[in-house]
Amino acid sequence: MTQNSIRQKRLLLVDDEQALRDMVSSFLKEGGFGNIRAVGTVSEALKTVRDWQPELVILDVMLPDGDGFTLFEALRRFTDAPVLFLTARGEDADRLRGLGLGADDYMVKPFLPQELLLRVANILRRYYKETPEAVQLADSRIDFERAEVVKDGEHLPLTAKEFSILQALCRNAGRIVTIDGLCEAAWGDNPYGYENSLMAHIRRIREKIEKNPSKPVSLLTVKGLGYKLILKEKAR
Amino acid sequence: MRSIAKLIRRFAAILALSTLLLFVVNLLLLLLVAWQQTSATGSSTGPWTLARETAAALQKTQNGYVLPDEAAAALQAENAWAIYIDNTTMTVVWHSENLPAEIPTAYTASDIAALTRGYLQDYPTATGESETGLLVVGFPKDRYWKHMYPLWDMELIRNAPYLLLAVLVINITLILLIYVVANSKLLRSVKPIADGIRALPSGKDVYVKEKGLLSDLAADINGTSELLRTQRQELRKTERARANWITGVSHDIRTPLSMVMGYAGQLEESDRLAPEDRKKAAVIRQQSVRIRNLVNDLNLASKLEYNMQPLHLEAISPVALARQCAADFVNADLEGDYPLEYTCDAQADAARINGDKDLLCRAVQNLLSNVQAHNPDGCRVFVRVAADESTCRIAVEDDGAGLSDEQLEALQNTPHYMMSDGGTTEPRHGLGLLIVRQIVLSHGGAVTFAHGKAGGGFCAEMTFPVCKRTGR
Repeated sequence: MTQNSIRQKRLLLVDDEQALRDMVSSFLKEGGFGNIRAVGTVSEALKTVRDWQPELVILDVMLPDGDGFTLFEALRRFTDAPVLFLTARGEDADRLRGLGLGADDYMVKPFLPQELLLRVANILRRYYKETPEAVQLADSRIDFERAEVVKDGEHLPLTAKEFSILQALCRNAGRIVTIDGLCEAAWGDNPYGYENSLMAHIRRIREKIEKNPSKPVSLLTVKGLGYKLILKEKAR
Repeated sequence: MRSIAKLIRRFAAILALSTLLLFVVNLLLLLLVAWQQTSATGSSTGPWTLARETAAALQKTQNGYVLPDEAAAALQAENAWAIYIDNTTMTVVWHSENLPAEIPTAYTASDIAALTRGYLQDYPTATGESETGLLVVGFPKDRYWKHMYPLWDMELIRNAPYLLLAVLVINITLILLIYVVANSKLLRSVKPIADGIRALPSGKDVYVKEKGLLSDLAADINGTSELLRTQRQELRKTERARANWITGVSHDIRTPLSMVMGYAGQLEESDRLAPEDRKKAAVIRQQSVRIRNLVNDLNLASKLEYNMQPLHLEAISPVALARQCAADFVNADLEGDYPLEYTCDAQADAARINGDKDLLCRAVQNLLSNVQAHNPDGCRVFVRVAADESTCRIAVEDDGAGLSDEQLEALQNTPHYMMSDGGTTEPRHGLGLLIVRQIVLSHGGAVTFAHGKAGGGFCAEMTFPVCKRTGR
């Protein structure tokens, strides 16, 4: 799935304030999303979801004829489309309630347009399973679809742990991913105490992706904090 | 309860002292009365002395017995009469002129014994012996009371000191007993009152049963407790109203601010605008972000202050927490103006804090953004995590501009304007460090602000109690 296919998704915006609907719609349009509808009430929202079947719903909590949480539960009866709450209610309790119901994200107003675009894109990518199929590094190429590294024409298979670690690094390419974040990606819920194992895996990954594993140029250590993956260019 | 024991001790001491005082005073009174008695009767002499002297003074002449004028005058002074009974005839051979008519003139041995020990025709008598007879002096009937059986068991006299002591001990015990019985009721009613007064400052509701000796006091305590309760309630209500008000305002401001921030952000990116106009839009966007952060901070600070911020506690690794915050900071520092050095010791790795992850993250983030805010030209940043058996410390330090001693002192000791009832004209500082302090306090920890280790810069260190240590 490509960036373009994400941009073609049907997005539904539910907010009681006309001015805000207009603004968010204009952001999304400028961000490349062309398929947007905006409504102001619960009843309109239900009708639109039934008729139009949006692929992502952006939902305000306070609506003139009901609240967003109830609407969310109603929506869940006939659609699995991801939902992003966009609301002025920033209390922990509200945030936890929204996420607890199963919403995909919870954003509190006010927000930066860029942030909204990124979050919407993230949800869509996650939900519609768009991960980069392959990335190009300085000395090799990681093929996620086949779970292998191609270096100098040689195909080196990745283990499950190496795959998870590289995926986490790749999702945050160019940024530090902490040791704890990588452990969580590889070992799941209780990731404490795996630091030494992680170091061993990183060493093996370097052997596969770097030309000179003792002088890495793609998978960098940030002392004490974590690791950073440097991409040469994103291969589509 | 301590004060009641003190009360009893003090009462016992007062009691012992007053008993001693009573004893001494009584003894003195007795002595005084005895002395007065002697001086009153001894203006001449005592009755027995008078009888003995009269017997000695009585002279036998050829015309019978004669009493010299001096001795007669002594009798006269006492308003007493006298008879002289001869040893052989057992009859009265001399008598004073004022002898009452009912006094017999002949006596038997038993008469003599009776009159010596007691009375003669109800007249109190005293006797004085001479070679040939017995002189009897009779006093007016209401003059003396005679102790007729002055006999004591020798054993009793010998044991008198012990006996006195025993009596004393019995008396004191008896008095104490009376005191205790009489006062236990009082003490019983004092105890709940004392308990009630002691419980008042604890902030709990106090109710003392209004009965017994001190029911008035109990009622007063109940009244006070009620008053305190109402005041606490009022205060809580006011605090809640204030926090709710701040929450409401910060909520209502979000939607309009979204528009400002959103459109400003859009204009900033717009190709159709001139670069200087885009710069202006950027300023609007930046300042609206600032307003948003301030509003959020204000809301969080007021909730933390009034304990209205729920804590979602879980066992958290301080190392993972600090590392994530540090990584976020480095990731966001695109220009690399703030090189960050992260260190942690081996013990910190295993330490866990019982804390709210989001809030603790917020505290570290606040400290890091504080570094940026005060050192716009960049500086080095150090994040350190260390732990020992019972505490874990997260420190954020920089080698930037730092604070003067006075500023540091003010930061440590002056309450934030938000929590102060003083004037608000002082230069203000932001809510960042206040929130750090509140978050740390709500986790049972402590925060210290100091100069950086190298002399310059600023160092903030948060200390938390460690909840448990785990291996893998």
